[in-house]
Amino acid sequence: MVTAGVDAGFESVKVVVLEDGKVLSRALGTSGGLERKKAVLAVWDEALKAAGIPASSVARTVATGQGKYDADFADGCVTEPIADGRAASFVFPEAESVVDIGADQARVVPLKGDGVLQTALSQKCSSGIGAFIRHMAGRLEIGLDGLGALAPDACGGKTVNDGCIVFAELDALELLNQNVPRKEVAGALINAMAVRLNSVIQDKVVPPRDGAVLFGGITKNAALVEALKARSGINFIVPEHAEYGCALGAALIAADEGGAAPKQ
Amino acid sequence: MSEAYWRWPESSWLREGRDWRDASGVAAGIDVGTTSTQAAIFCDGELHGYANIHTGPDFRAAAERAMALAAGGSGLKTENMQRIAATGFGARNAVCATKFLDEVQCHGRGARFMYGPEATTVADLGGQTTKCVRLYDWDRVRDFVMSDKCATGMGRSVEMMADMLQVPITEMGARSLDVEKDPEPVSTTCYSFANPETIGLLRTGFKEAPYSGNEVLAAYLFAVAWRILGSIGKLYDLDAGDVKVHGSLAFTGGLAKNAGITRRLERALGTTALSSVHDPQLAGAIGAALLA
Repeated sequence: MVTAGVDAGFESVKVVVLEDGKVLSRALGTSGGLERKKAVLAVWDEALKAAGIPASSVARTVATGQGKYDADFADGCVTEPIADGRAASFVFPEAESVVDIGADQARVVPLKGDGVLQTALSQKCSSGIGAFIRHMAGRLEIGLDGLGALAPDACGGKTVNDGCIVFAELDALELLNQNVPRKEVAGALINAMAVRLNSVIQDKVVPPRDGAVLFGGITKNAALVEALKARSGINFIVPEHAEYGCALGAALIAADEGGAAPKQ
Repeated sequence: MSEAYWRWPESSWLREGRDWRDASGVAAGIDVGTTSTQAAIFCDGELHGYANIHTGPDFRAAAERAMALAAGGSGLKTENMQRIAATGFGARNAVCATKFLDEVQCHGRGARFMYGPEATTVADLGGQTTKCVRLYDWDRVRDFVMSDKCATGMGRSVEMMADMLQVPITEMGARSLDVEKDPEPVSTTCYSFANPETIGLLRTGFKEAPYSGNEVLAAYLFAVAWRILGSIGKLYDLDAGDVKVHGSLAFTGGLAKNAGITRRLERALGTTALSSVHDPQLAGAIGAALLA
C-alpha cells in the first residue's frame, strides 16, 4: 500500500511517500509564508513526481505540522509529537525518546511502548530558535552552511545572552560593534542557542544518555548539534534525512489502520 | 528561502548643480545604526547630499560606504570636511568622526530640519530602539522615552517577519491596511512572542474564523504600532487634554516608511503626521551634521 505524510511546518513543507515501509520519494520546499496552501500543493506535486505515481495511487495521506489544515487533500491529521514518536521507533526501534527541533518549536517526546504519554515543548522565550538561526546567518552574512561548519571553539571566549533571542541578538550586535570577527560572534550565538535548547530538553522529560533520536531542520547544522550534545551530555542519534522525521511518521501512521483522526 | 523579502531599497541623493569646492565650510553627520547607516553632508549650512544603506555585519565598512555614497563621486573626501559628527549604536565605528553626539538630540534636530519648526513630537522608529522625543518650540529636548528591553528590535523584527510571511517589506504596510476592520493585535509584549504568534494565526481551523493574509499582517503591525503608541503616550498627558501632539508629529526611521504602522498611530492619536521631501531615515545623520 502506498501512503504519504505531509509535514507543513513554520518554515518548510516536507512530504514523504511510502510503500510498505519503504520510502518512494521525499520532497522539501518553502512553506510560502502567507501562501502556505499553495506551497503545500507544490511540494506535494514534487513528491508525487519524484515517486512517479499519480495522486490516485496514494491510498491514504496524513498531515501534521502547524499548517496541517492547509493540506486540504489529506485524509487525516495527527499532532506533531505523535508523528515524531512513530517515526523514531521506526528508524530506531530501541529509541526511548525523540527530540525534534524545527524552525518554530522544540519538542521532547519520551517513548514508552507504542504510545506517547507526555511531551515537553519549547516555551515562549525559546520559540522560533530555528528561524532565529536563519535570520542571524543572514545578518552575519556567513550563510547557514557557514554557521553549521563552525568549529566547537569558534566563539573565542565570547558570549551572548542565552535566555532570550531578543537579548542574544542585541549582544551579538554589540560584539559586531566592537569589531569582533563575525565567526566568533556566530560561535557565541551557537553556544547560546545550545544552552537555550538544553533548558527545554532538561525541563520535564529528560531523554536518556543513549537512545534519544534527534529530528528536525536543526540537524542540518552540525555545529549546533555538536554544541547541544556537549551541553546536554546526550548522545543523540541523528538518522539520515532527519528533517523529514515528522513527515515520515505521518506516512507511517497513514499506513496503520485507524491511525489518524479524520479531518475536521 | 531564495528571495530576500526583508531587503528594503537603499537610497542616496545629491543636490544638482552645486560643487562642494565653492563652499567655505563642509560638515557631515553620520548615523551608524544596528540595521541601517546614514550619512548627510552640508555645504555652508545647506543640505548637499545624503545616503542611506544597510549596515550589515561590518559596522566600519558601512560607515565608510555611506559617506562615500553621500559624496556621490564628486571627489569629496572626509579630509575636505571641517567637521564630522557621528551618532547611533555604532558611532564609534565611524573612524572619520571628530565628535560623537547623543542620538536623541540628533533626531530632534534632524526632524526639525526635515519636517519644519512645527515638528515637536519626534518618533524615531528604528531597527533597534524606538525613541520618542518631545521638543520645546525651540531646539531643545523637553522629554524623551526610549523603548525598554522588551520593545527593542522592532525594526529588525519587521524585517524578520517580512521573510517569514514572504511579503516584500515595502508592501507590508499597504497590504495590512487593505482590511475591513483591524483584528485584535498579536502579543504587544515582545517581538519574540509576537512573531510566532503571528505565524500561529495562519493555523486555519485554530480560530473560529481564519485570518486572511492581509488580516495577519494587520494584527502584527497593529501590535507594533501599539507598542510605539505607549511610548508617545508617555510624553503627553493625553487624558488631561494635552493636545500638543496634534500637528506636531514627525515619524523618522525605517518604520516611518511602513504605512501600516504610521496610519494606525495617526488614527489612534487623532492627528496627521508631518511629511518631508527627504528620506525619513536620515533624521539622525542630518541632525548630527547640523550639530557638528
